[in-house]
Amino acid sequence: MLRLNRRRFLQLAGAGAGLAVLAACAPAAPDAPAVVDEPTPVPMSEADVAASADDPGLMRPSGTPKRGGHLKTAFGVTMASFDAHQGGGTHVLSHMYNNLVRNNLVDGLRTVVPDLARSVDVSDDGKTYTFNLRSGVKYHNGADFTSADVLATFNRIMDPPQGMISPLKAEFSFVEDLTAPDAGTAVFHLSAPRSYFLNVLSATNAYIYSEASLQENDFDLRDVIVPGTGAFKFVEHQPAERWLLERNPDYWDAELPYIDQLELLHVPAWSDRGTAVLTGQADMSWNVAFETWQEGSARDDIENKLLPNFGAYWLFMNNASGPLADSRVRKAIHLGVSKQNLKAAFGTQEVINITRWVPQGDPYATSPADLASMPGYREDKTEDIAEAKRLLAEAGYGENFPELEILAASGPQAELLAPAVQDMLNRDLGIPTKIRIIERASLGTEQQQGTYQLMVHTRGHGVSDISPRGNLWWRTGGSQNFGGYSEPRFDALLDQIDDETDVATRQGQINDAQDVLDDNPPEYLIGYTYHLPMWNSKVKGIELHDRIFAEWGRMETVWIDS
Amino acid sequence: MRQYILQRLLIAIPTVFGVTVLIFLAMRVIPGDPLQTIYTESTGAYILSEEELAEVRASLGLDKPLWQQYLSWMGQVFRGEMGYSFWTKDPISQMILRRGPISAQIAIFAVVLSWLFGVPIGLLSAWFRNSWADQVSRAGITIFLAVPSFWLGLLIILFTVLVLTWRPPLTIIQFWEDPGANFAIVALPSVTLGLGLGAATARMARSAALEALFDDYVRTARAKGLGNSLIIWRHVFKNAMLPVITSTGLALGGLLGGTVSVEKAFAVPGLGSLMVQGMQERDWMMIQNLVLVYGLIYVFVNLLVDLSYGMLDPRIRYS
Repeated sequence: MLRLNRRRFLQLAGAGAGLAVLAACAPAAPDAPAVVDEPTPVPMSEADVAASADDPGLMRPSGTPKRGGHLKTAFGVTMASFDAHQGGGTHVLSHMYNNLVRNNLVDGLRTVVPDLARSVDVSDDGKTYTFNLRSGVKYHNGADFTSADVLATFNRIMDPPQGMISPLKAEFSFVEDLTAPDAGTAVFHLSAPRSYFLNVLSATNAYIYSEASLQENDFDLRDVIVPGTGAFKFVEHQPAERWLLERNPDYWDAELPYIDQLELLHVPAWSDRGTAVLTGQADMSWNVAFETWQEGSARDDIENKLLPNFGAYWLFMNNASGPLADSRVRKAIHLGVSKQNLKAAFGTQEVINITRWVPQGDPYATSPADLASMPGYREDKTEDIAEAKRLLAEAGYGENFPELEILAASGPQAELLAPAVQDMLNRDLGIPTKIRIIERASLGTEQQQGTYQLMVHTRGHGVSDISPRGNLWWRTGGSQNFGGYSEPRFDALLDQIDDETDVATRQGQINDAQDVLDDNPPEYLIGYTYHLPMWNSKVKGIELHDRIFAEWGRMETVWIDS
Repeated sequence: MRQYILQRLLIAIPTVFGVTVLIFLAMRVIPGDPLQTIYTESTGAYILSEEELAEVRASLGLDKPLWQQYLSWMGQVFRGEMGYSFWTKDPISQMILRRGPISAQIAIFAVVLSWLFGVPIGLLSAWFRNSWADQVSRAGITIFLAVPSFWLGLLIILFTVLVLTWRPPLTIIQFWEDPGANFAIVALPSVTLGLGLGAATARMARSAALEALFDDYVRTARAKGLGNSLIIWRHVFKNAMLPVITSTGLALGGLLGGTVSVEKAFAVPGLGSLMVQGMQERDWMMIQNLVLVYGLIYVFVNLLVDLSYGMLDPRIRYS
């Protein structure tokens, strides 16, 4: 058994695949994992020090945090469910709960730090994770947090009761067993080592519910906001209007939170979010319209940042039949369609982040510098288009390519992206297409039924690592491999990537897997997107300017420099 | 009068019934499964299987025959519940009651503004027809009729955000909670709508007043030696108001239901915004109930307009 103290824990977190998510903006290979510095001490009262001395929290923002104040945020806060494990809006709910481990708010999300776990022991074979839980943690209703809650939470995710839809189930498919030797310990037994396991546990939707709350509500929390252990307590919810949360005075980390109230305003339109921040109606927003973001750049009292996001725009290809069943045709499209042109065409809507299959923000992502000269990704398309034409001719589609249909949702995707794709396919590759515009609600159905040839659509995943994505999307028979892609070379590499824990070895395997996907593309990646957070300069403590990817949710280290 | 009101209300029943049937069927005929949208949006990468969709559909009663679904909805309406949002699970009646006052305030302020500006300008324009004042007012009327209200709203928002660094509050603040903040929410949308509506009112008032100015009773009044102000107030104004009231009534019916574009431009949390949200989220129940509310408002406002004729024109009798 490998016993981890806090420093070692952080190092492991840094070294583990995706745990220390290296900067998208500084995209070096992850051979030097980022390790968080010692927490910066901040002034604490004697009572606070005494209360937390035996079990201090890890996240201490820089500067001299001030207590008090009311922080207003602006973004969409409606949701179909209050159950985080059944699609609930964790960008709102997560403020009231804790995970076992979580992304570190004060180092730009570069490391994973303990949350309700005080420490974690990882067995030498990497298959057993023992979480030593914090003591004295209480739910907002006064109940104690114990390992029974961890068991109840993850057993429900992994083995959902009748009627529960568990989107997270696939994320934990490698967990064989979960046990609780005592009230302060929870042990996950994995079927094979998974270097990104802590990543999955640190996602904002992997938080802990109490066993009692689950039982009281028949294991279905979609319609009820149950007490959590989090830094903020629920006060009020006005549907499609706002949420009001207040400081939890009994939070297990006595230092946090600094602010008294957190008001989450419902502002669905990106431009309204931007103007809300610019005019002081809100203090911050996770994502605003580009023009308001630019306006913020010109202001001294406003700060902003482009953050890589793990959701992307795709041109899905149905591999099952027709010309697109031929890998040479798919590769020709991969080579011949310019991502730079698509980025420009969509520039008024969202900022596209040109990346390879692994998104920027992940430690294994290909650096922009390398990408700039790679076939299919480089700006100069002369060689790529020539190669694409050669592939099409080799596949027997030299002059008379049959017309394909591009499905797209009404709105910007059909008005901007689909025509741009159509133009390049026709002009550069001689592939005629027609665009069929349908309601967005219908795209998923068409995708599942396989009744499409090409489809412009979005897809994302909360975890940047290629393992969970690859198993869902590109593995032969993957549960969301709707295009019917099958590539034995990729499947074999994915088997290795899944189990590998050595960072350098895994980097090589992932590079190879991406090479395979470039050589035999399952679909065309238009590009991941950036989120455009903007905030008033008085908002401190969550290091938004230093983040390496977008994560909406918990912010207990935030303080207001009023 | 009472019998007339009763008759009108009875006539309204098939109208409202037709509205409910049409919107109920329209929601189910348009392609796309709202549940697929809702659950895909909220569950990220996870896409529901057919079995899971069927289970969710059954839990919402959407697996029942259409007539049963319709009757169930009507039952909820008659109980004053109106059902729950597909998306947020919140009671729709409460959402409408909370947002309705904001939309109503905007509508009423806009109408008041439109009358304050539109009626005097229309009457004066008619009285001084073909003068420079008439030309100026007609040009102004044409401009404000041509400019879409949402565009005017965007200009106003741009000015307030970029120049004044101010924008209205984003949450609902009722008049009785904080009159000042409430006024800040409704003022600019009201002005935006009021300008467009005022232009229409002025045009209507001008043409009606011009017609009245050449009627026999005005000529007689002049022959009797009545002063101009008395002629305008007693003879022209009253007679010119009938078409203005009709057009204002129709406009008010639309405004009370929330003005989608202006509420959207100013991010006002009113019924119009709720409708847009319902459409974006494919929230059938929300859309159905809002359309029903709009239908009822139209019927009620039209009845009020008809009744107001009797007060303005003694020749009109209700039977």
